[in-house]
Amino acid sequence: MNRNSLACLALGTGCLLSLLSPARAATFGGTVTLPDGRPAFGAMVSVFNAAKNQKQTVYTAADGSYAIVTPYYGSLDVRARLANFEDGLVTVEAAQDSVSRLDLQLKGFADAQGASDALSASAHNAVLPWKRADDRQVFVSQCNYCHQVGNSTTRAPRSHELWLSTINKMEGYLSMITRAQGIRFASALEKGFDGKPVKATHDYGPTAELARAKVEEWQIGDAFSFIHDMDVAEDGKFYGTDEGHDKLWVLDPATDAIEAFDLPKSDLPRGGLFSGMHLAIGIFTGSHGPHSMAQTKDGRIWITNALSSTLMSFDPATKRFETYAVPGDALYPHTVRVDGNDIVWFTIVASNQIGRFDPKTKQMTVMRLPSNGFFRWISDMLFPTLLRISSWFPDKALLLDFSHHRFLGYTVLAFPYGIDVNPKDGSIWYAKLYANRIGRIDPQTLQVTEYETPLSGPRRPRFDKDGIFWIPAFDEGALMRFDPATAKFESWKVPGVAPGEYETPYALNVYRPTGEVWMAANNSDRILRFSPATKTFRSYPSPTRVTFLRDFSFTKDGRVCSSQSNLPAYAIEGAVPSYICIDPAGGERDRAAFAGARPALGQSTQQ
Amino acid sequence: MRDAVIAGVRPAAVKAYAVLLLLSAVFMALLGWSASAYYVPAACLLLQALLLWSGRAYGLFKWILVVNQVAGLVLILVLWLGDGLGSLKLDIAGVMLLLNLLCGGPLMAIWGGAMLPALRRGKRLFRWFNPQLA
Repeated sequence: MNRNSLACLALGTGCLLSLLSPARAATFGGTVTLPDGRPAFGAMVSVFNAAKNQKQTVYTAADGSYAIVTPYYGSLDVRARLANFEDGLVTVEAAQDSVSRLDLQLKGFADAQGASDALSASAHNAVLPWKRADDRQVFVSQCNYCHQVGNSTTRAPRSHELWLSTINKMEGYLSMITRAQGIRFASALEKGFDGKPVKATHDYGPTAELARAKVEEWQIGDAFSFIHDMDVAEDGKFYGTDEGHDKLWVLDPATDAIEAFDLPKSDLPRGGLFSGMHLAIGIFTGSHGPHSMAQTKDGRIWITNALSSTLMSFDPATKRFETYAVPGDALYPHTVRVDGNDIVWFTIVASNQIGRFDPKTKQMTVMRLPSNGFFRWISDMLFPTLLRISSWFPDKALLLDFSHHRFLGYTVLAFPYGIDVNPKDGSIWYAKLYANRIGRIDPQTLQVTEYETPLSGPRRPRFDKDGIFWIPAFDEGALMRFDPATAKFESWKVPGVAPGEYETPYALNVYRPTGEVWMAANNSDRILRFSPATKTFRSYPSPTRVTFLRDFSFTKDGRVCSSQSNLPAYAIEGAVPSYICIDPAGGERDRAAFAGARPALGQSTQQ
Repeated sequence: MRDAVIAGVRPAAVKAYAVLLLLSAVFMALLGWSASAYYVPAACLLLQALLLWSGRAYGLFKWILVVNQVAGLVLILVLWLGDGLGSLKLDIAGVMLLLNLLCGGPLMAIWGGAMLPALRRGKRLFRWFNPQLA
């Protein structure tokens, strides 16, 4: 009796092995049941490769059934996971081109602590006791900015003093809270994260559509990588910018081959122009801080280097980088997009500017955006100077001793963040994260028109093919729709996975063939799919706990992809970041393949 | 006014400016609780309030105001027109900002703009600091 059979017997299910076509490796199918024997709807069945650095996942249908075709073979972990239940995990020996029936059963948790530990961060941070109603929104804006708060790494019980010290460290990474807020946050965190189990029942809202999907994940980088964005390039490869290590990680999903390219060295110290801040040692080892990417028609990939305030191109054909300085006081080039004329546009968040670069003439233009108020004007004027003063005393975060955000809060900055090109007229649109505005730039005259958003925290928006601007409202857990033709907003609150829990939609992208909006939901380990036709959200639970996604990109065959970008990466389940893709119809194809293999399976059974 | 100075009576303008400087020092100290660099202009404003109240150290009082004004002015000009300075722009601006804060910061700059003309020879504050020359 092989290990596969043993594992299946241990689960009280039957398993079979058979050869199938040589195009596949291990194929599994079966059912997942709840502890009481009822079918588990929406459970994730994940198959890990033998090296445990890749996994593929499908979701069970209402009858608990699943099927998954993987390229893996050897000693494979197969895991069933569903919210509110303990994982079912077996290790099976799968030969190449094998088809196995593998029924899995979920278990109840042995104790309340186990149940609590399995909950997403959203359950843990929902219990934080806020003394002031407006504190939670600031907390969401500034403390959920780069990572979850409430996952296993961040919810460890700490004393008030230790929380103050942790918060001060976060301020060194540019979390822009007032000192008074910091003290109140420390109190809430000390009281809320007391180590006692949290009770919550999570509902990810399984649908028949969910059971059609398949998720693929490839671990990339290491526990200290900070892969900010991932983009699917024209060559079909996945490019990821490691902001901490000045690397470009390239994955060929066809072969699973991974290449890493080091950005050319700069003359700046570690941390670049932000060397005066208290950047995490081990994570921030470089000086460029590659952040966001966009590709021009000539194949070159354009990268905003946030820490060195440069724009960089990478030619996938020659593997060569070229660097272009962003002139003036530009601080933190952020999101980059390319318009229909191959002009490169990017936001510059910390100095409230927009950059425009023409790759043909190599002409760079930096335009200042409206300051939106006196204190933001002060910031626009003085923030680069304060950072320069800070850089004279590396790693001391001296900025915190000078900046007026320490008594006025993060709204003293405008923070132009996401940017996109309107396909209807070629105009450039941006979102100001802290000033709660979106703006339009006429690409010819550079004239700017701004609109206040009804919800706060507009982060990384995108256009659909009809010129509708879709905007995630990070601070308020919602999705906004803006029609430039009528200048009217509509908005929809993202449903939580349990009452009282909030969501943090960081970025989105619109799949233009269907008009559907794919959006990050970084507080509850899921990805959202919004249908403008029905005005409803669908949830795709992530197979990986501590899922914190940034930009979304689409493959030519319709998969939606992103990078696991929680900071630090070692807080992510598995302790390494990954590229993740959802194929909305991949699970359905696997079911069809498995059904086609059943005759072979049946013959095997009869033998 | 002249008679008051000669008689050693503190003029109303001195009282008013000293109170403004003191209140400014308190305000800056409150900001310093959140951002500790603001304790520096708070201390300077307090020193100036004491010097003005007591009518001592005319030279120090005046030069603090002058340096504050010059640093503030250069800071504004460099930030406004200094793009041609390249990387030096922010270095100069940084030094000027530190100097300005060391000499009382933005509130001192506002009050200094009003006090400096009165510190010229023969003017009210000059006579208060220098009664023997009045």
